[in-house]
Amino acid sequence: MVFLSGHASAHEWTPTYPKPTMSHVAGIMKVEMRLFNGREDIEYYAINVFDSEWNSTPFALSNGKTTVRVKPNTRLGIDVYIRQKDLTRAVYVCSKTKPLAEEESKTMLFSRICSKIK
Amino acid sequence: MFNKTFILFFMMTFGLNAYASTNVPVSGSVESKCVVTQDVVGVFGNPTPGVLSTDPSDGGVNPVIRFDVVQASYYTAKITHPDTFTESPALNDVVYWTGSASVDQVTDANMSSYDTDKVEYNNVTEFFLTIAGSTWFKVESEATYGVGRALPGGQYQAAVLAECIAI
Repeated sequence: MVFLSGHASAHEWTPTYPKPTMSHVAGIMKVEMRLFNGREDIEYYAINVFDSEWNSTPFALSNGKTTVRVKPNTRLGIDVYIRQKDLTRAVYVCSKTKPLAEEESKTMLFSRICSKIK
Repeated sequence: MFNKTFILFFMMTFGLNAYASTNVPVSGSVESKCVVTQDVVGVFGNPTPGVLSTDPSDGGVNPVIRFDVVQASYYTAKITHPDTFTESPALNDVVYWTGSASVDQVTDANMSSYDTDKVEYNNVTEFFLTIAGSTWFKVESEATYGVGRALPGGQYQAAVLAECIAI
């Protein structure tokens, strides 16, 4: 009964070491990522690309934003587009939860998972 | 008549057997990944008028985060305990924050070394996930308002940041 009452609340971001591939636009490379949202309290994730010193690196998503909506318990494929000239310094591709404010005194969990471009 | 019945029985028997033994391929792959799971939601207790604490002895609940890694030594876990409220009433005095992150439960006894090998700086604790499996980390947090001042009434929220960074 204890096990039945438990709930999963997971954030998964794969692959660990994505390999950039050519996109349909010249000079733009594509990094294909997958996001699984197992968190009932989360629907939005921010995507970011960083260099080795954790400075932001320019990128684009196909929806024109830097956030994606992933309904709980669903998986979404996300293509991250990076200019070829920025690819030499782009190291980490990350997804981070964007929790909504709640009317309750508690600690929220922001989770961020970063994959490394190889 | 007997021959037809016999042939029909023969076909049904061996036909069913043939159907039952059909191979259904199941494929899968194992790839390195990190899964961050919120196992226990933290709650602030209010033991004295000027203190909010997740310590169970203060009426709070420590948040617990689980990190699952499929392969060893691919990820670093970084846990940042709160140093500010993400939501609170207007505060006109300083809030003093303390906190820590430590191993709570493990699936491999050797993971207990994570606590001795962890690196702490500012409000960040780094653990090197050198063993495949699941590790539960407990985060403690306490906020003290000014010196002997009472926190104004209202809702308070703070955020723990759990990061899993590919090495």
